[in-house]
Amino acid sequence: MMYYLRVWAASARYSLTRAMMFRGDLLVWSLVELFWMGVNLLTISVIYRHTNSVAGWTKYEMMLLVGTSMLIQRFLMGFFWSSLFEMGRNVRSGNFDFTLAQPGNVLFMASTRKLDLDGLMNAVIATAVVVYSVRQLGLHPGPLEIALYVFFILCGIVIHYSVLVLSISMVFWLSSAQGVEGGYFSMTEFSRLPRQAFQGIVSRTLFVYALPVVIVSNAPAATLLHGFNPALTLWLAGSAAVWFTVAIWTFHRGLRRYSSASS
Amino acid sequence: MLRAFDKYRHSFLIGLQGNLIYRWNFAVRGFFSLFHLAVVFILWGAAFAGNDQLGGFSLNQTLTYFVTLVILTFFISAFNEDYQISEDIRNGLINQFLLKPINYFGYRFSIFLAARLVSGALILVPLLVAFPILHSHLTFPTEVWRLAVGLPAMALSAMIQFSIAYCFGMLTFWFLDIQGFVILSMAVESVLGGQMFPLDLLPGWAYGIARYLPFYYQLYFPAAIFTGRISDPNLIAQGFIIQTSWVAILLIVNQALWSRGLRRHTAVGG
Repeated sequence: MMYYLRVWAASARYSLTRAMMFRGDLLVWSLVELFWMGVNLLTISVIYRHTNSVAGWTKYEMMLLVGTSMLIQRFLMGFFWSSLFEMGRNVRSGNFDFTLAQPGNVLFMASTRKLDLDGLMNAVIATAVVVYSVRQLGLHPGPLEIALYVFFILCGIVIHYSVLVLSISMVFWLSSAQGVEGGYFSMTEFSRLPRQAFQGIVSRTLFVYALPVVIVSNAPAATLLHGFNPALTLWLAGSAAVWFTVAIWTFHRGLRRYSSASS
Repeated sequence: MLRAFDKYRHSFLIGLQGNLIYRWNFAVRGFFSLFHLAVVFILWGAAFAGNDQLGGFSLNQTLTYFVTLVILTFFISAFNEDYQISEDIRNGLINQFLLKPINYFGYRFSIFLAARLVSGALILVPLLVAFPILHSHLTFPTEVWRLAVGLPAMALSAMIQFSIAYCFGMLTFWFLDIQGFVILSMAVESVLGGQMFPLDLLPGWAYGIARYLPFYYQLYFPAAIFTGRISDPNLIAQGFIIQTSWVAILLIVNQALWSRGLRRHTAVGG
């Protein structure tokens, strides 16, 4: 365990040094993340210009939901996105050999090569969106609600990470990962929607119960809005465990198909 | 003239073969766009609950607009042309175009047309699969003139899409990595191109400004013509003038970036 923490810390140091070498790049990428958050908030503002409620959620409740979804996504971007995205390319080019040759768990090594400071910097802004929405709603969450919110965010990161690993692992079966990463973004689009908006039995079964993409942001937001809910807690923690297991299993099944530079 | 055209016909055919190799990737991307449509249907369905109309349009008109956007995206949007151009410059592959009697813009545009033909054909498959669910929500206007006007607008939109991607690709002459600029631009395009919400839902002043920007003509303009969100002949005529102007401006910028970029370019090796 300590060994892996040291490996991760070394990767983080390397990424930090690299980010400082390319400060212009860091600025551009921070703006990219900021702009995309702005796009989501602007969309909410435009929709609420024409209506007062979406599935029973007011404007600031919706902003809290979207802020929570963005917070999870920024952490994922910051910690894992670049490494996993590169893994997709490396499998295709054969450069994945270098990851396989490293002394440690393959998925860990492939997931933690890079740290994106811009994603982590924008996590601060996503937190600000959440805090602003909480204030606008006049909420005063206690220590239990805040602790649960943090725990749910961690579960959310695990779930998003698992969905991303599943999407990228498709590269072991397809000739290129081009377009496949889009699977992750398509799935996470659902996390910006209120659970109550899923009215049809098919959409509710598929996106709320079968896939964890809605509950991942709705559970933490609902905790701040309505307090502790044991069923939600079990649901989210269970989903995180199941999806993480499925992602690891799929990744290792795919890894068997990897045939070095010729794959 | 015909011989010159023949070069680009061959580029188109090579592009067609190259893109057919990645047909499954386009198909997967097309499949994922159904998930995007599901998000749109759920979000806007909830927003319209208790409202007959938002911004003067019904739920089905709004959903039709988003389905049209998906189809247009696969037929005319630039997907990764900017990265391909960037890779050509970084790897020195453009050197061969400097020595041969072929125009690089023309070559890349031929490949772009081939790629969109493949992706456009492939998006029809998931849409046909989803048609039993979609068809009750689709409400296209029946006026034939919309096709006659919308198709040229669509062709000009493709030119704008490709030209913007080409501009970003050209930035590789000055910058090591253009990915940040491209994704930054995608965020702006997604809002001002009407991908997040129909632009007519913006406040009047913001919509007025958007009409003069090139992003408006990337997708929204042809989509609005096809789906009946724009009907005023004066507005459409004005739109065509602005759209054609942007095509001309972008082509000039493309040429300027190519000429100035080549001055910085160093061709190494044989």
